[in-house]
Amino acid sequence: MDTTVYVPLDGMGAGSPAVRARSLTKTYGKGEAEVHALAGVDVDFAEGRFTAIMGPSGSGKSTLMHLLAGLDSATSGQAFLGTTDITRLGDRDLTALRRDRVGFVFQQFNLLPMFTAEQNITLPVELAGGTVDQAWFATLVETLGLRDRLSHRPGELSGGQQQRVAIARALIAQPDVVFADEPTGNLDSRSGAEVLSFLRRSVRELGRTIIMVTHDPAAAAYADRVVLIADGKIAGDITDPTPEAALAGLDALRTLEPSVAVGGDA
Amino acid sequence: MPGTRFPTARLTLGQMRRSAGRLTAAGVAIAIGTAFVTVTLLAGDLINRTARDMIAAEYATADLVLSVDDPEGLTRYDDAAVTAIADLDGVAAVQPLAAFWGDLRHAGKGSYQVFVPAPSHESLSPLELTEGTWPARSGQIAIPPSVVERLGVGVGDTVTLQRSVYPDEAETAQGGTGEGSVEGEAEMVEPVAQTDELEITGVTSDPYGAFTGTGGAVAATAGDVAAWTAEEGADVSYEEVLVALDEPLTGTEVPADLRDALAGAAAATGMAADHVAVETTEARAAAKTIEQTGGQDLVFMVFVLTFAAVALLVAGLVITNTFQVLVAQRTGTLALLRCIGAGTGQLYRSVLLEAAILGALASLAGVAVGAVLTQVALLVAPSFDLGIPLPSAISLTATAVVLPLLVGIAVTVLAALSPARAATRVAPLAALRPADAPTLRGRAGRLRAVLTTLATVGGFGLLGLGAALGLAERPDVGLLAGVAGGAISFVGVVLGSVLWLPKVTAAMGRLVNRSGPSARLAVANTLRNPRRTAATSTALLIGVTLVTMMSTGAAGARQSADTMIDSEFATDIIVAPGSDETIDEVRSAVADVEGLAASTAIAGSFVTLGDVSDLSVNAVEPDALPGVINTPEEAAKLTTGTILLTEGAATSLRVADGGTITATGPDGTLDLTVAVTTAGPLNRIITTTDLAVLDADAVPHAVWARLATGADATTVLSDVQDATGAVDDGAMVIGPAAQAAQFRQVVDVILGIVVGLLAVAVVIAVIGVTNTLSLSVIERTRESATLRAIGLSKGQLRRMLAVEGTLIAGVGAGVGILLGVLYGWAGSVTALSLMGDVQLVVPWTDLAVVVGISLVAGLVASVLPARAAARTSPVAALAVE
Repeated sequence: MDTTVYVPLDGMGAGSPAVRARSLTKTYGKGEAEVHALAGVDVDFAEGRFTAIMGPSGSGKSTLMHLLAGLDSATSGQAFLGTTDITRLGDRDLTALRRDRVGFVFQQFNLLPMFTAEQNITLPVELAGGTVDQAWFATLVETLGLRDRLSHRPGELSGGQQQRVAIARALIAQPDVVFADEPTGNLDSRSGAEVLSFLRRSVRELGRTIIMVTHDPAAAAYADRVVLIADGKIAGDITDPTPEAALAGLDALRTLEPSVAVGGDA
Repeated sequence: MPGTRFPTARLTLGQMRRSAGRLTAAGVAIAIGTAFVTVTLLAGDLINRTARDMIAAEYATADLVLSVDDPEGLTRYDDAAVTAIADLDGVAAVQPLAAFWGDLRHAGKGSYQVFVPAPSHESLSPLELTEGTWPARSGQIAIPPSVVERLGVGVGDTVTLQRSVYPDEAETAQGGTGEGSVEGEAEMVEPVAQTDELEITGVTSDPYGAFTGTGGAVAATAGDVAAWTAEEGADVSYEEVLVALDEPLTGTEVPADLRDALAGAAAATGMAADHVAVETTEARAAAKTIEQTGGQDLVFMVFVLTFAAVALLVAGLVITNTFQVLVAQRTGTLALLRCIGAGTGQLYRSVLLEAAILGALASLAGVAVGAVLTQVALLVAPSFDLGIPLPSAISLTATAVVLPLLVGIAVTVLAALSPARAATRVAPLAALRPADAPTLRGRAGRLRAVLTTLATVGGFGLLGLGAALGLAERPDVGLLAGVAGGAISFVGVVLGSVLWLPKVTAAMGRLVNRSGPSARLAVANTLRNPRRTAATSTALLIGVTLVTMMSTGAAGARQSADTMIDSEFATDIIVAPGSDETIDEVRSAVADVEGLAASTAIAGSFVTLGDVSDLSVNAVEPDALPGVINTPEEAAKLTTGTILLTEGAATSLRVADGGTITATGPDGTLDLTVAVTTAGPLNRIITTTDLAVLDADAVPHAVWARLATGADATTVLSDVQDATGAVDDGAMVIGPAAQAAQFRQVVDVILGIVVGLLAVAVVIAVIGVTNTLSLSVIERTRESATLRAIGLSKGQLRRMLAVEGTLIAGVGAGVGILLGVLYGWAGSVTALSLMGDVQLVVPWTDLAVVVGISLVAGLVASVLPARAAARTSPVAALAVE
């Protein structure tokens, strides 16, 4: 398995954060029953990087992603996409944001069964009423190895192929950031590794920004950086992780007290 | 075995609770259908009761009704028998039921009325006196309000009775009063017109509606009624005699000694005692109702219930659809149940039990709604002054409650049979596989394809045969073949729709595909479950086909009637004076009537044309003719020196258009140029100038008049009748335009009723569209969320569902209209060809309305599901179940 550490090229980002969270809080219920899903999270995600958010079940990692992507509303605090505070946007602006600036990759793929792979990939552009950038489309298809599969419907594709179509769909509008929610959760380990490699290639070769939520240390190791989260708080940060480092970090969250930095200073 | 039955029931109830919303929508469809049946049954009962009440009203509050029980129908009560009965001890009064028809006239207006004897006893009269007194002596009458209004007379006035008198063989009784003397043999007796002056002594009312059908009755003395009847040549005898007793009857039976006494009294005057039937008023009314309606109420019920059946069929389609989706959605649960040991039979029974419970609840609701609607209609009806005394409350008969209930449950269970079978096909293994989007993949059987194709092709063949037979002037056999063919082909079309309707939808979808991503998504969604979409469209197709068929048929009937009337009558109104001397008065009377565009006099004579003698010719002023004729361009061909002939007439006279024919009248001879006309009524018309040469004594004998545009034909006709009625000797008024208008009105009323009845089926189908869309929305929650996550706006999501709704509805309406027009044409050709050339009319306005309603309905049907879909948060796309 490829575990070489990727060092970003100069000028490819790392300087300006693509996504930022400031005191981001989300609570469910009231009074006695109040549950803090996120308890004041501050975190930056660099542009042109592949970042993994990792934590055990119920740690709040999914909630963090929902809030950063504008899928759910925060109780307090702010979430920025570039300079836009998305916690202040209404449904119309959020829809526009999702069209142009954010891409999603889901655990269940969520392709539309009645459309071909090609139609699924180009759908976001069509919904926005734009025209497909054919050169970009060709690049994506080439990078993700979908050339022979374009006329197939989802039912005729393997899980890995379906997830690659989903990645192409997330990237077709050249969004500022792609959120991937457990993208390998429904795949066997071979297909999972393949999908993760493609995600990494998208960052390296195509200069995209990807934020991936996962509970799998092996998957997290494909990222440039791992943000550990536990009990709704940032619990650690690993740069250039190896699977072992990621696993150690995750284990530390389970056994040690929260907010102990593991594997490097946060 | 409670061990196996109980879990099934518990499972069913649990499933129903989870699917309550969806089941409710399906239940509404069944409820509407059963409400329809309930209303029909209750209305049938009301009609029956109203008829019985009207018949009973005639008997007033008599204790007994004597009628005749004679299989040969020869026995009747004569005056001697009536007197004998009246003289019996214990009999307070008797009243034979008699009726005489005559024409009451006053100041040029007339009213044809039924005359009945003034009551001998207050309990024997259905009429009540509201003003003045009952007629006490010969020559006096009491009149109903309708006559007061029509003739403009009141108590103390005198009116004229016009009646016919048939002189008896002795020819002495009425000799000399009539202007026409009797000639020829005795059996060729000609009636003689007789007039009597009658004094109005009172005004009556008919509170129980005994004379509703005749607009009230005129009361005269019993002697007058008997005398007029006798002078008309009819026997003075009665079929029924009302009896009031000194002591009112107790109980519902007629005591045997009373019966014997009455029969004996009648027998003493020569009647056969066993022909005398003695019944209480109620018993007689009930028996006579059955006799008179002769099962017509049953015909009415069957007619309306046919439409209820259509509504229930459509409801059945909606139910089948709903259960198919429910079963598909429950695949996981069903498979789990199979895994833990549930048998296929248990699952099958569970679905059917669910259907039965749904059917029972929905039908109960339907019966309740139907009963309430009927009662509300009864409460509202009196304010429309229908002239019929209606009961004030419905009576919930057992039939009206139980029958709709049973039918509703049966339809629901039957509709659920195929989804229930689908439930048994769920493999236990399915529980172990993550089922993404459960869809029922039914294999549209080859057998179905073959059978429905056969039915469709064969049915249309029969329909064509029917039309051919109709054209061959055998509409009786043709109609039989046509109706059978229409029904068979429609069954084929409906049952086969799942096979071909998806292709139609795809083709229509390609048309809307280009209009944006929402439309493309919608089209793709519509096609992903072709069977469900087809079934939903079919539900609408049924209603639209029938509505279109009816309006196409009606348009054809109207057109044919118009054509027939135009070809048989030259003009809108024809007036022929009672005698030639009054023609000028009639002309000026007609000219004064408002609502007429023009009128002109027609003269006539008999002349020899070529070598054919004694042909009638009509003559008009050529300048006036185009103004009064329906076909002015034909009228323009008439100039002095020409004669208009139809093609047929010209051929038989052996002349051609532009040729010359010699006309010879009593006073002269003319060579006339032949102008062939296509207008039948203009045959053998010349100018008045030419007629004067041929026959100097020829005088006008009729007036032709044409309606002003926008004038109401019926009103103007009635005005012309009133105006010319004031002229001595009166005039005969024929109103082809009014006939046409009346016919059109009858067609429109029938069409309105039928379309109204069919509209119920359309409403149910619209509910079906909503249901299908809601189910799709629920099924596609994850998909909608994904679309929202990748940038579909709420508006686009709503638009997508709106396009889906209109596409489903549009396909149903489009195909329905094509079929309906076809059936309507076939029906017109088969039934109407006797009336002349049938024109295949397309009622564009009606069709536009049907399409418009269907599309709007599809659009409206998408509103609620779209709201639900738009509420879906994009987060749902991320959820793992």
